[in-house]
Amino acid sequence: MSGSQGRWARILLAGPGAVLVALVVMAGMTRWVPPGPAGIDNLVVPLVLVPLIWAALFFHACLDRSIARVAIVAFGLLALHGGLVAQAFLRPSMEQAR
Amino acid sequence: MIHLSKEKTKLMVAVHGWSGILLGLLLYAVVLTGTAAVFAEEVGIWSAGHVRTTSAFARPLDSAIRDLAAHTPERFHEGVNLFEMGDHDLGVYFHRDEMAGGRPITRGVYYRIDAEGRLASAQRGTDEEIFGPSNDDALKTFLVDTHVRLHLPNPWGLLLTGILGLAMLVAAISGLLIHRHLLKDIFTLRRSANPVLVDRDRHSVAGTWSLPFAFVLAFTGSFFSFYGTVGVPIVAMAAFGGDVGALNETVYGNPGKADPRPAPVGNLDRIMADATRRAGGVPTFVGIEKFGRADAEITSYHQPAAGDLEPATLLYRGATGQFERVKPAIGTRASAGGSLVGIMAPMHFGNFAGLLSKAVWFALGFAMCYVSLTGFRLWLVRRRGEARSLDWLDRTVTTVAVGLPVALIASAVAFIIAMPEGTAVFWTPAAFVIASAAVIAGAALMRSPAAFERALWLAMAIGMLILPPLRLALGGPGWAAAIDAGQPIIPALDLAFLAAGGWLTWRTKPRRAVTSEPLATLMPAE
Repeated sequence: MSGSQGRWARILLAGPGAVLVALVVMAGMTRWVPPGPAGIDNLVVPLVLVPLIWAALFFHACLDRSIARVAIVAFGLLALHGGLVAQAFLRPSMEQAR
Repeated sequence: MIHLSKEKTKLMVAVHGWSGILLGLLLYAVVLTGTAAVFAEEVGIWSAGHVRTTSAFARPLDSAIRDLAAHTPERFHEGVNLFEMGDHDLGVYFHRDEMAGGRPITRGVYYRIDAEGRLASAQRGTDEEIFGPSNDDALKTFLVDTHVRLHLPNPWGLLLTGILGLAMLVAAISGLLIHRHLLKDIFTLRRSANPVLVDRDRHSVAGTWSLPFAFVLAFTGSFFSFYGTVGVPIVAMAAFGGDVGALNETVYGNPGKADPRPAPVGNLDRIMADATRRAGGVPTFVGIEKFGRADAEITSYHQPAAGDLEPATLLYRGATGQFERVKPAIGTRASAGGSLVGIMAPMHFGNFAGLLSKAVWFALGFAMCYVSLTGFRLWLVRRRGEARSLDWLDRTVTTVAVGLPVALIASAVAFIIAMPEGTAVFWTPAAFVIASAAVIAGAALMRSPAAFERALWLAMAIGMLILPPLRLALGGPGWAAAIDAGQPIIPALDLAFLAAGGWLTWRTKPRRAVTSEPLATLMPAE
């Protein structure tokens, strides 16, 4: 990857990429964060943490020397949490089909 | 201290500078109005001349609520909200939840009961139609709305202030990362150095001391902005298939066995007295769910108790008035998530320890404004001598930085004049717009930047100096009357305006010209 391409990839990952991944992680966290004694932790903890998740992704995209590593972390989080949300949507329709 | 390589430090300096430059002026507007809004309650009392000190919840309200309930259609008994309005009037909102265009709203009848227990007004409609600024709180509402959404329609205003919060988060974290000598920088103020280095030191010292505060404000502010606009719909989609009502019921509801049998509500006066005793203070808000049913529940919300950060919430059985339990602000039982959300508001508003914490929040907010402004100036100084002139940006910074407080003072003057006539809702924002237009015209027409800036400071000083006498001349309570009534905040704010106006007048008086020294060059990490 050329210097210019690398810079644009970094800008995309730090800008719109970090926003998208942070929102998908927030949605996906509702599936794995323990609900806690009140049954709400999985709903409110992601809501509280989303600005910090975005900031972590933003600074990682800015500071990591390897743009490949930045992309792997971002796409990994996106795939994992996107998959968790998709599974939640698919489960009722699969049960209906059965 | 975090040690970054020279290359990364340079990148962080660029991120720090651009995060401020791209959104800095809007961020400055949000932080400045937020700083003033820390004292929004006190500004409301001072500007409208409210001298009552007895809370609406400390007066008998039980029979008035029963009378209103008898005259309100039963379909609006689903929920009843009780809160204070104006000079400790009681607001009573009988309502039901509805969906409009996919958005949850409430519809019902809103009553306002004055301090003598008389019905002052009644209005029917949705929450959006009913709850707007009123004549006696127009200034306070204007200040808060500027801070919260910059007067843009929902959800765009909240989204914009949320993005500004994220920009502030970036500026705070990158500001921490670029400090090579954090401890040294906290105490370095070279007063006799070149003016640019003096400005750099001041920016660095004010920025470093207020760094944790900037982080907390940016984090909590972006949380509040994104919570309802983006967060709740996405979490509701992921966890409840998009049913926002189900999410709200899980987080805020009081689940129990439904019992729709009719049952009169317990004695509300007794419940208010008990809640005040248990929480150590009168409620700030009371919600009654399923009014007039056997399964009715009453929740009273209070400011945090002394030494506590989380607000107190108490739950009562509606039909019997019996105390049930202390409830977390959200959720049915104490939990990490509930506590986390519970402390977000006190951390953002600084209202957890009365006037003392508010004063600290005000001072740190003021420091943040100073940091934004000096940051702008440093960024411009660093680019002085580049091919493209940035004089227009320099002038824009002055226009916003000094012009905004001038316009806010103008809106306060207009409020004081218009409130007795009952036209404050129109004239408070109108005066802000007129003053802003005058400032912008001055920026375009005045040739000398120094004369323009001086004119703005002078206008601000004059505005501050005329506010107290104007308030008194137009029938506002005098100092002795306010102190007798237990509202020392009225003379305190008068004195604050007079002192600030006097200091600004002294500061803007013409001085002998100082021989300009050659400007020092700032290093990348400076």
